[in-house]
Amino acid sequence: MNPVAIPVLHSAVAIMTPLLLASMGGLFTELSGMLNIALEGLMLMGAFASIVFTHFTGNMVVGIALGVLASMLLAAILGTVTLHLKSNVFITALAANLFASGLTVVLSFKLFGNKGVVVFNDIGRLPRLDIPALAKIPVFGDIFIGHNIFVYLSWVLLALCAWVLYRTPFGFRLRATGIHEQAMVSLGMRPSRYRFIAFLVSGFTCALGGAMLTLNLGAFVPNITSGKGWIALVVIFLGQKKPIGLLFAALVFGFADAFSNYAQGAWNVPADFILAIPYVFTLVAMVLFSIYTSRKNRVE
Amino acid sequence: MEHALEMRGIVKIYTETGLRANDGVDLTLNKGQILCLAGENGAGKTTLMKVLYGLEKPDAGTISVMGKPVSITSPLQANRLGIGMVHQHFMLVDDFTVAQNVTLGKEPLKGRFSYDLKGADEAVDAVIRRHRFSIDATKRVGSLTVGQKQQVEIVKMLYRDVDILILDEPTAVLTEQEIESLFITLRALAEHGTSLILITHKLHEITAISDRVAIMRQGAMVGDFPTDSVDGKQISRLMMGQSVSLVVDRLPYTPVQHPVLRFDNVSVLKRNQQRPLLDGVSFAARSGEILGFAGVGGNGLGVLEAVLGGFLPISSGAIVHKDEDISRLDSHALRKRGLAYVPADRLQVGSALKATVSENLIVDARNEFTRHGVMQRKKIEAHTQSLLKTYSVKGSPSMPIGTLSGGNIQKVILAREITQYQDYIVFSEPTWGLDIASSRFVYERMVQLRDEGAAVLLISSNLDEILAVSDRVIVMYRGTIVAVLEAEELRQVTKEDMGAYMLGLRQQEAPHG
Amino acid sequence: MVDRMEKRRVTIVATLRNSIGAVVIVGIALAALVVLSLLLSATPLKTLRYFFLGPLQNTYYFGNMLNMAIPLIFGGLGVSLAMRSGSFNLGGEGQLYSGAFVATISALALARWGSAGVVVALFLGACTGGLLAGLSGVLRMKWNTSELITSFLVSNAVVLVVSYLIAGPFMDPATNLIATRMIPESFRFTRILEPSNLSSALFAAVIAVLVVHLYLYKTKSGYELRLFGLNPRFAAYGGIRTKWYQVWPMFLSGAFYGLAGGMAIFGTYYACMKEFSTGMGWNGLAVALIARHRPAAVIPAALFFAYIESGARNAMLHSDVTFEIASIVQSVVFFLVTSAVLQKIGSVQRRSI
Repeated sequence: MNPVAIPVLHSAVAIMTPLLLASMGGLFTELSGMLNIALEGLMLMGAFASIVFTHFTGNMVVGIALGVLASMLLAAILGTVTLHLKSNVFITALAANLFASGLTVVLSFKLFGNKGVVVFNDIGRLPRLDIPALAKIPVFGDIFIGHNIFVYLSWVLLALCAWVLYRTPFGFRLRATGIHEQAMVSLGMRPSRYRFIAFLVSGFTCALGGAMLTLNLGAFVPNITSGKGWIALVVIFLGQKKPIGLLFAALVFGFADAFSNYAQGAWNVPADFILAIPYVFTLVAMVLFSIYTSRKNRVE
Repeated sequence: MEHALEMRGIVKIYTETGLRANDGVDLTLNKGQILCLAGENGAGKTTLMKVLYGLEKPDAGTISVMGKPVSITSPLQANRLGIGMVHQHFMLVDDFTVAQNVTLGKEPLKGRFSYDLKGADEAVDAVIRRHRFSIDATKRVGSLTVGQKQQVEIVKMLYRDVDILILDEPTAVLTEQEIESLFITLRALAEHGTSLILITHKLHEITAISDRVAIMRQGAMVGDFPTDSVDGKQISRLMMGQSVSLVVDRLPYTPVQHPVLRFDNVSVLKRNQQRPLLDGVSFAARSGEILGFAGVGGNGLGVLEAVLGGFLPISSGAIVHKDEDISRLDSHALRKRGLAYVPADRLQVGSALKATVSENLIVDARNEFTRHGVMQRKKIEAHTQSLLKTYSVKGSPSMPIGTLSGGNIQKVILAREITQYQDYIVFSEPTWGLDIASSRFVYERMVQLRDEGAAVLLISSNLDEILAVSDRVIVMYRGTIVAVLEAEELRQVTKEDMGAYMLGLRQQEAPHG
Repeated sequence: MVDRMEKRRVTIVATLRNSIGAVVIVGIALAALVVLSLLLSATPLKTLRYFFLGPLQNTYYFGNMLNMAIPLIFGGLGVSLAMRSGSFNLGGEGQLYSGAFVATISALALARWGSAGVVVALFLGACTGGLLAGLSGVLRMKWNTSELITSFLVSNAVVLVVSYLIAGPFMDPATNLIATRMIPESFRFTRILEPSNLSSALFAAVIAVLVVHLYLYKTKSGYELRLFGLNPRFAAYGGIRTKWYQVWPMFLSGAFYGLAGGMAIFGTYYACMKEFSTGMGWNGLAVALIARHRPAAVIPAALFFAYIESGARNAMLHSDVTFEIASIVQSVVFFLVTSAVLQKIGSVQRRSI
């Protein structure tokens, strides 16, 4: 294969992972009938908490676990306010985003006296895995090997996610909640319970996606998620709300991102433009997708 | 003999409106008995059943099941006590199969966590075969007919081993044939020992199916008899307080021959769909007649309404209004030409519930109340007041229309559309969910319009209504016209004949309206 | 006559009752602030004093607080118009920033025009914001693309592009700031409360509230916009041009954001600095939400937000907490502001006897 294509595709697989993780959790809330725009905030919360707890405990596993917990706590607040105080999920999710971006900066200032980039030199690199079986895949083999552990974890979780949604009573009830809430009520089940769990799942996977960002970098940068939670939302739509669809949609975005990184190095494009590429790309993808769906439903 | 069910002194007050929906209601039910719970809309039948099914919490009263006092706080608990309910609006997930819908919430497991999909198919298939239903457990519910969906709802309850089954207006959406087969099923269930409560307000059904009839009016139980000891008149008097006839006096049928509105071979085809939604539909509506469109849900009545309202563009053919082609016009343009139309969905399409009565009343005449882009408040208020008075609407101009009762909302819509009409007017399911007095009001207005020379198009799945007011009837099946009944044929046709057309069992040769 | 007075009295009582929920929410938000200060500050009492009293302590801080409310009022009006029509405009950040930028460079280009130039430059800025938001409206109208997401995406991209333009081709080499050149004196609004930054743009903001109120409730177009927002299917059924009302309110919404940006430059900053408006767009949205999309309520809501922002700034200057504490307080408001449960507090419950 083209010597440029391999490294670009290799980094595309790494870049797509946080998107894939976040979109998985978002898929649960989406299927339960709620547009969850808080993925961004949940990721940010997980990103910050994971690296800070890793720093203080000196153990990455414990750090990630506590980071996940922090993000799930925010998800639980979001769920409680939305479902029990009966608020508009769109606004409360916006609140969660704002809360996460405010709290991370406030705490960073309190703990490290710094509102900007905080570098943690005491944190080791993320473990990398070499799975020999993957290397044997013809042509594309090189793209899948030597990634960090989050990359492989995300694939396992994706399979788990598909199993839960399509092969367990919980999955059926969750989807029924999204399609026909009253059908659930009429059988004595509480839709709010399934939605709450969906929020918690969002918190869980988003935290992992966020943790990968900071731990990979060894630093916390304010607003490090930079719109990834929003793009994850678009991934859900483009992936047609199916687990396997998420994988392909996330890969497309990972590739766009990897390509723009490559372009920056190769052609000396201004940094601001490079940063704008994922947004423009997402926009174009969304528009094309909606043109496709609206054509499909049109009267001839 | 011990009662299967005994409800005593049930009181239910809705706090938002202060309505006493149930005011000390008593009801008993014997094992294996079929009871019809009859009453007008708003009499409190559905509320009473929701209390029994754990969907509403009563403010007072006691319930005993099989002689044991119980308190029912959720449908789940009702199921455990052997009580099941089939709702008027189906509680089905279209994307799931029959078996997945039936087992939802009570799924068979494989191992500890895994949903046993095969086991579900088998278990549901067993229930289906035991009770001789005609549905396939592995089919997607979205692809079923209305009658089959209702079977799924009943199977859903039988799977839960209920002894007492409540059915809320089960015949509202069914054809005559489907109703007959439903009744056979219900009788078989009763013979097996299941006790049944049917909510209905159709007299002939009460006499056809029930052992006993209990009648409610304004939140109270006003009568309870063995069915063979009362006649229809008596029941109807108890239901309404007085008897009301549906027949409206009218002038002799003398339509103008030249049509006001004509459909020429109109088809609607969506991309990626095999079957057209409308397939070569031709008819002409003339001044001075009520042209009825009959059919079962999903066979083109809704599509026809959307086309007439300008919501759905047609794929081929032509729509001609007063000799001008209006096929390509949208709602905006059609309204400008004087379209008047009472939609089937009066809450979602026919009104903006949070807007005021005035704002709702002027929507299609707003230009008449505007000068230089500014609304003329005083003129609007005067107009509203006079219309509310003419149509005896209980409500004031500045109230949000959503706070009015269903009947009053429909009156506001009628007032608006009748004021707007110029030469033709469309009514779609105009009395759905209304009580008899309100329905009669609607029929009187329709006949009055016809007598004044309007071309009235009545789209309705209610066969009684179609037969009571139409001058001619067109029957639709799978998007095509299968029969056209002219005035003289209409007088002789039976409901069974109509049912055969509506189900596609019979078809006229080259029907042309 | 008596009837009318009675009606008005009932309306006032109802309005007060309906405000109880808002008061509870503001109370909870301020309580959160107290808790945060206790947790984060070594000198919580001092922090709280600067936070609560700082904005009111002298004309300088008070004027600056009022000044801060001006772009929030414009932004809040913009969001209210979109929300009333059933559209979501999440692109305020980019619309405001680009509106400010275009107004600035137009002012620089039209330096000789004087006061006519002010109007033209503000108009061009407003159009820029309007077109950006309108694009999302067009996408929704044509292909049903969610305007909520597209407006956000467009805005994020535009912020970066504008930043590039300010730091690159349009940067003023004479200063150390990353900013455009200063606009001519004749384009700057008069200061009305020296020594604070408060400018005559305040009057423009109040007039804008009035205009939007009259537009929404007294004109045919406003009536059509509101009905479309309340029930699009009903609007289509009633012959209202639904395609127009998917685009026009978004355009207006973006235009108000653009105007907010232009007003901020001409009244306060005099040059478009890189990322000067970060957060203003979101705050405009918050203001509209807390005002529940009612133009008249936008003023008190904007003042509340300006108070929190300037309180946080004050506390940061004089104490040991950082400014972002304000966004936490704002998020508490967001969390609670649409709660149906909290809104029921105080609302009239009809009881039957």
